[in-house]
Amino acid sequence: MSVTQVKRIAISDSPWPWLLPLVSLLVVFTIYPLIYNIWLSFHEFMPRKRALVFVGFANWVQLWHDTRFWGALGVTFVYFTIALACEIVLGMAVALLLDAELPGFGALRAVLSMTLVIPPAIAGMMFLLMEDPQFGVLTYLLNMLGLLDKATPILATSSLALAGVLVAEIWQWTPFMVLIFMAGLRSLPPEPYEAAMIDGASSLQMFRRLTLPMMSRVIAVAALLRGIDLFRVFDYVFVMTSGGPGTSTYSLSLYAWQQTFSFLKWGYGATLSLVSLAIVMILANLFIRAFKVRW
Amino acid sequence: MKDSVKKHYLASITDKFVRGQLGRREFLRAAGKLGLGAGALGMGFGNRPFGAFSSARAAEELTPNPEILKWLADVGKPFAGTTLKLATESTPPSNAINGQLKKYFEEATGIKVEIEVLPLEQVLQKLTLDVASNLGTYDLYYIDQSWAASFSQDVFDPREQYSAKADLAMPNYNLDDFLPALVDGIAKYEDRWVGVPYDIPIFIMIYRKDIYDKLSLKAPETIEELYTNSKIITDEMGPNVYGTTGQMKSGHYSLECDWTAWLWGHGGSIFGPDGTFTGNDEKGAAALEYWTKLKATMPPGVDGWTWDGQGQSVAQGVAASMLSWGEFFPYFDDPTQTKVSGLCEVAVPPRAISLRTVKETGYGEIPGVGHQGGSSLAVSRYSKSPDAAWIFMQWATCADTQALITTLGGGTGPTRASVYDDPRVLAQARVGAGTTRHLPVVRETIAKHMGSEPDLPEWAQLSSDTIPVSLGKYFAGSYGSPKEALDDIAKQVGEVLKG
Repeated sequence: MSVTQVKRIAISDSPWPWLLPLVSLLVVFTIYPLIYNIWLSFHEFMPRKRALVFVGFANWVQLWHDTRFWGALGVTFVYFTIALACEIVLGMAVALLLDAELPGFGALRAVLSMTLVIPPAIAGMMFLLMEDPQFGVLTYLLNMLGLLDKATPILATSSLALAGVLVAEIWQWTPFMVLIFMAGLRSLPPEPYEAAMIDGASSLQMFRRLTLPMMSRVIAVAALLRGIDLFRVFDYVFVMTSGGPGTSTYSLSLYAWQQTFSFLKWGYGATLSLVSLAIVMILANLFIRAFKVRW
Repeated sequence: MKDSVKKHYLASITDKFVRGQLGRREFLRAAGKLGLGAGALGMGFGNRPFGAFSSARAAEELTPNPEILKWLADVGKPFAGTTLKLATESTPPSNAINGQLKKYFEEATGIKVEIEVLPLEQVLQKLTLDVASNLGTYDLYYIDQSWAASFSQDVFDPREQYSAKADLAMPNYNLDDFLPALVDGIAKYEDRWVGVPYDIPIFIMIYRKDIYDKLSLKAPETIEELYTNSKIITDEMGPNVYGTTGQMKSGHYSLECDWTAWLWGHGGSIFGPDGTFTGNDEKGAAALEYWTKLKATMPPGVDGWTWDGQGQSVAQGVAASMLSWGEFFPYFDDPTQTKVSGLCEVAVPPRAISLRTVKETGYGEIPGVGHQGGSSLAVSRYSKSPDAAWIFMQWATCADTQALITTLGGGTGPTRASVYDDPRVLAQARVGAGTTRHLPVVRETIAKHMGSEPDLPEWAQLSSDTIPVSLGKYFAGSYGSPKEALDDIAKQVGEVLKG
């Protein structure tokens, strides 16, 4: 390419020369894997033949009869709903508290954000130890408070295991919500609050009538970001319960990973991943429309 | 030294140690400079506590036989500059070779050896990709016994290699020295040898002699006695000490390992001769009922433990006995790592109530309370340097190297008969780190009490998912009775086998 051609490109109004690197990256790392995944979902790896064999819609049909899939989907929805609700409520409560600017709250804000730099697998390991029936500090505290029998292992009891995993999730990601909500609270205009105070509104009334409506879009964006992440939960369940006891904490991502990498059912694993992607996309779009999320 | 520099240095030497580029002694010396003691090794490297070295002797004191080094130098000369690759699980033989011994092989032959230490399922994944693509990325395959059927056509039969390549044959390699039970249980599929037996973790009875003596108990000889002893200990000493322990994490292969020991011990089997699941018959149900009873004598955390938690429960003095991998024993005996050094003793597994014969089972399943989880080492048919790989394989599995592995790495039972009588191995049969005093029991267990899982391509899924997930559900109370749980497993196994 001559110098003149390079100069021509540099002063060109067309966006394509500048977008090309990014588009190439997207094609290589997003579009191609997606297309390959779709292609893979119509095939299955046969260990005996050592080859991918075309199976048509067999993997998609299998989904309907696979009770493990429906169980994993159910667990994922329960996990998603509880975690999101808790993180939003707790995040908002802590953000409102820290917004008060009392002495020491600056340091507290910094401390809160530290949980976010811990890899989720490590946080899972921490809580695995904390919930150990023999040595765990969390188990000890629950015993002391009379809330848990000493002989009950949290992560090995069907009715408690999901809650045990959710504790780690909520502990680690509530500060993320706090940071977003605090940024939102600080951008609210002061005038409506001044007017409300003159009218004699209570704190609760101001929260319900002013803060919540004005924060709704911030909450929606935070819920969307976190919700997408929650639907892909893998690390905590993998480290803390491996999906057990039985299948009581089996998430969709864990199931897809297991089918793909443990049992080498690449086609079925790809199908599960595509289903997960489709559900996230549909939910996200519905959410964006319902809450009029603006980016 | 600044704290950040110190941490960076520690991270760097730890990384080298884990990759096997730094010996334990050099690592300790380097760590010592940072003010860290031997306790740094208690951080739990590797997947299994018994995968870590518990050696009493320095690597410098134990060097390969000079005659073997000379043979390596002669035979390896044409292959100097070749690089061999092996993907393996973190096991005592692989760790000892990777960390301490391969330098002798590399110096003698000029052949470089790269050993990737991975979790077992990733080893399977890498091997499958390798054979599917015929790429020959790995020259040597570490083959878990449950994969023998799947990979039997992808590796050379070592007997054929030995006779076909006389110029590369190690003098006195002696294939007949491999314990016949291990050849049958681990390395053989139909009439082929899928490599040679390389690693033999096996269930033996380990118990706290001090506690047993205090309560006037003797090592359990029968399965019922194990329960009675365990109940007495739990009743007397619980909740501080429990009678026995387990590896019962839902959905984990370790849970399936425990299950088979009790199933076989009650006269049951996983499959019948026609290939159908028989774990749900009368004997299977009796085994699960027994196990449920026995679990009541175990620490509450047992539902969340794999072999790691199980071993730690003994090492930390929480449990007084276990029927589990003999490889734990040298770790327990190491006073720098555990509280129970010198307090544990070993015995062969408790006698089975009755035992099915191989003919009464399916897919080559061998019933026995001493569950084995061994693996073979084989040369890949897709290797670009099969001759160099064969030289390495002979060296890695010859009697001299096995004796060094056993003495350095401790724990694992040798797969060759002669190694059990090697003076270097016998010299370490005393209380302390890297002990080999449990090996006579390991040898007897291999010969008389060994149980081996079936060989079928679907076994990886059945043993790591279908069975342990359902057993996990059973222990979490999701089924009404043992029979109901086992019938459900039978149904699922049938579906998997149908494809």
